[in-house]
Amino acid sequence: MNLRRCLLPILTGAALVIGALSVPSLRAAAQSHADDEAQLAAEKSLGSPSAPIKLIVYDDYECPACGAFYEQTLRPMIDTYVAEGKVYLVHRDFPLPMHQYSRQAARWVNAAARIGKFEAVERALFDNQMGWSEYGAENPKGIMKPFVESALTPVEFKRVERLMQGCESNDHDELKGCAVDTEIQRNIAAGDLIPIRQTPTFQIYYKGQPYPPESGMVPWTLLKQFFDQILNQK
Amino acid sequence: MAANARWTFGRVLLLVGRLALAAIFLAAAYGKLSPLTAKQWTISSLKITPASLNLSMTFFAMQISSYQMFPDWSVSPIAHTLPWIEIALGIFLLTGLALRYVGVIATVFFAAFWALIIRSYALHLGINCGCFGPNEKLTGWRVVEDGGFFALGLVVTIGAFILHRRNRVAVSALPQPELPAR
Repeated sequence: MNLRRCLLPILTGAALVIGALSVPSLRAAAQSHADDEAQLAAEKSLGSPSAPIKLIVYDDYECPACGAFYEQTLRPMIDTYVAEGKVYLVHRDFPLPMHQYSRQAARWVNAAARIGKFEAVERALFDNQMGWSEYGAENPKGIMKPFVESALTPVEFKRVERLMQGCESNDHDELKGCAVDTEIQRNIAAGDLIPIRQTPTFQIYYKGQPYPPESGMVPWTLLKQFFDQILNQK
Repeated sequence: MAANARWTFGRVLLLVGRLALAAIFLAAAYGKLSPLTAKQWTISSLKITPASLNLSMTFFAMQISSYQMFPDWSVSPIAHTLPWIEIALGIFLLTGLALRYVGVIATVFFAAFWALIIRSYALHLGINCGCFGPNEKLTGWRVVEDGGFFALGLVVTIGAFILHRRNRVAVSALPQPELPAR
């Protein structure tokens, strides 16, 4: 009986001690995760990080729905709500294996992001999606270099080309000699946590509070209506 | 006696089917109207405010839009109407009022939902279903489930018509009271 009486305080004490010891390591892990998030976002994001709404979009550059979503929804949003500081747009790569050239396109964009030219190259690839994707009428397919080049100055393009050394392949697996693949893998890992099955998939955060992820093409008018309602919440 | 037992069994089955249909409609409406940031089936998910309601219905409109089947102008009205129709159908099914007509409407709704789900699944849209709330992937299982709902709706409706007919026959077979001669 006495043993039973003693056991409960001992176990409670032990739990408290273990809890107290693990708090710093948990904090460190959370901090490291936050740092990773910040780094991921900083390279492929548009707008102010202090905007009340954060929109994370998981895209595949070759998927036609992603192209339509970019042109019809994200473009007007970038020109208005992102420019006005209402929305912080974060892009994440999720190249689907079913699309032959999506990984290669993501590599070009990530290389451009490393020199601060994410927006220009992303726009060039989406604007000319039918010029290089397997769904387009143009031949030969999978040649996206000219579109990247057209979006950059010659000096910038040289820098991006250097970053792309060891990356020019349509292979969907992570290439050992390709530095930008690491970032793509991190994006895919973040998407797998949701989990993502289709692109585009997006998730909205308002002041850090997540809303459920949503997939597919959504018109700007509806997304804008949703943002306005969030912003008008008391 | 055996026939009576069969009828009683049939009535019980109809009651169970009707209540199951009511539960499906009410759960679907709850999933669409509960606050998006609250975890479903928790106390906080019941704290519905006008603002949270508006957000939930606009989010549902985005889900309808992702089916790529409805014109943009129609998406918002559908999203703002459908959950309330589901609640009304759920209440009618719970009470059993006008069961034949409600059964027909419910079956037509299930048929439409099922057709929509089959189309989206066949097109590999990979969108969220939006059937019972957000973040619910449209999978093969969802196609089977919606087919089951349609079948249940059909069975309940047919049962309601058969029961109504039998009751009418039973009433007409009763001895009619003789009217006093004038």
